[in-house]
Amino acid sequence: MPRLNETHLLPTAHCLLPTAPVYETFEHTADIGIRARAGTLNELFADAARGLFSVIVGNPESIRPVQDFSFRVQGDRHDELLLDWLDELLYAFAARRLVFCDFDVRVEAGGLNATAQGEPIDPQRHHLDVEVKAITYHRLKVQQEGDGWLAEVIVDV
Amino acid sequence: MPKEGFHGPLERIDECSWRIPSRYKPGMRVEGRIFADDRLVAQVRSDQSPEQVANVAFLPGIQMASLAMPDIHWGYGFCIGGVCATDPAEGGVVSPGGVGYDINCGVRLIRTNLDQKDVGPRIKELTEALFRRIPAGVGTGGPYLYGGKELKRLLAEGVGFLRSLGLATESDIEHTEAGGCLPDAQPDLVSQRALQRGSDQCGTLGSGNHFLEVQVVDEVCDEQAARVMGLRQGGICVMIHSGSRGLGYQVCDDALRELRNVPAKYGIQLPDRQLACAPVDSPEGQEYLGAMRAAANYAWANRQLLMWQTREVFAEFFGASWESLQMSLVYDVAHNIAKIEEHVIDGVRKTVCVHRKGATRAFPAGHPEVPERYRRIGQPVIIPGDMGRASWVLVGQPGSMERSFGTTCHGAGRVMSRTAAIADAKGRRIDRELAEQGIIARARSWKGLAEEQPAAYKDVSMVVDVVHRAGLASKVARLRPLGVIKG
Repeated sequence: MPRLNETHLLPTAHCLLPTAPVYETFEHTADIGIRARAGTLNELFADAARGLFSVIVGNPESIRPVQDFSFRVQGDRHDELLLDWLDELLYAFAARRLVFCDFDVRVEAGGLNATAQGEPIDPQRHHLDVEVKAITYHRLKVQQEGDGWLAEVIVDV
Repeated sequence: MPKEGFHGPLERIDECSWRIPSRYKPGMRVEGRIFADDRLVAQVRSDQSPEQVANVAFLPGIQMASLAMPDIHWGYGFCIGGVCATDPAEGGVVSPGGVGYDINCGVRLIRTNLDQKDVGPRIKELTEALFRRIPAGVGTGGPYLYGGKELKRLLAEGVGFLRSLGLATESDIEHTEAGGCLPDAQPDLVSQRALQRGSDQCGTLGSGNHFLEVQVVDEVCDEQAARVMGLRQGGICVMIHSGSRGLGYQVCDDALRELRNVPAKYGIQLPDRQLACAPVDSPEGQEYLGAMRAAANYAWANRQLLMWQTREVFAEFFGASWESLQMSLVYDVAHNIAKIEEHVIDGVRKTVCVHRKGATRAFPAGHPEVPERYRRIGQPVIIPGDMGRASWVLVGQPGSMERSFGTTCHGAGRVMSRTAAIADAKGRRIDRELAEQGIIARARSWKGLAEEQPAAYKDVSMVVDVVHRAGLASKVARLRPLGVIKG
């Protein structure tokens, strides 16, 4: 699936496959936005997570799925659940020094369970360009769009 | 995504300030006031930050007006450059969005007895020595490790704790805002996650717009004040801009989570959920203030350790002790903070909670909180510019107490998004462009340098001009960068 960085323009392939999972980043004065579109809520949360790591790591393709890590996040509102999920990943990056490339998310009533695949940070291989300070509430949205889902979240850098 | 501008009313008050009338949005308890002149007002309208000024006017207990400084730009809840004061006695609230994620992001200025002629020919080597030594970069930890009880003491005592370790002098403490320690900090309210993130980051620069610069005083505007501060034309200084690192971001994040449903609990209606708040005199309000103060103390300790490492680099480089180089701290100011202060409002002395988000305290001459050395001239205000242009030193004026709860601007303010700045910089070597201007820049990442390129910022001299004319703070000296290190 096409992955986009740094541009708000969508490739033609995206238009042909409206429910294909994809994320992109968009500009927002001092900070960076992540937009994800997917067919299911589970894919949406996974793609938003990929979007986050595309901001944190300049070359996300360098992240290797060496180990599995489990996450459990509680929450009823989808938007707050998304924020809390990304927050867990940000904490794992900041404090446990981990980066992730693949995500298997299962959103259920009351929260989500997820497995993330990744590895410890290697400054030689992973380009850590941007310090993401926090996942913000600004224009935070998780909503249905056509046959699928849309999520937008802005991160403070 | 096109940038949406502000199309609401901006009525001129005088040549340096504009009003958003309280009738603009039902729910505004006071009017909005933005300090800007004709040159800057177009930029003011270019994003939604005036809307944020209007939104802050909804906060319970807000006094006088919802304010913004001329470096105003869009932020979370409060705009950057946003200032307000709330009175707890009137149900006044405290709001983490009025402080920011980077609690006590701030800046300090260190003077030396070195001149440009001593440093100029060796600026490249000196900058590289600093770059090698000063921990900087995304998530980078440093050599000072504090855990358990030590970290709690640091959070409670700020720079005072470092003095007990021989990493700060009495003079350093005296020349730091609040003596480098806010009383009533509650380290036990700082989460395990925040403590974990803070355990190895004290004494590290971070990245983004944080920097350490070797600068030269290239214009003195107020001879007397400059002399009192130890600044002279051609004199070499070091400026350090950094904050509370991952510990502070986590404290803010934790607080915003705790406060999600709290405004509703107190019957507070907000136009933006990022203005999440609690009455100052509520358990939730006191908990945030306690944790925020701990994070603020961590930030002061952070800048103290960055200065300490800088002194060690200079001593090694010049083969002389930092004391003999007279590398003393001119002053250290916070520009993301909430403080309980006394102000006279409509002739009545009140104790209020002042929020400064991307705004700096600027107390005038005579104020008891101004260090004794500066009490005749007023509190030094350090204004970092952008990499390619000037930084400024100002001094607080009485006008700040009348007009802005003792507050002035904090810096230049972004005009270009990071993405746009990086796109604009593609194919360009920003470090070479700066070198052509005589500025040596060393950064841990090209992107970090690109997104901070000078074109991304307003001209700080225009911002400083407005606060000078508005009587908030007056110009003392302009500083030009010679060497910059960034994360």
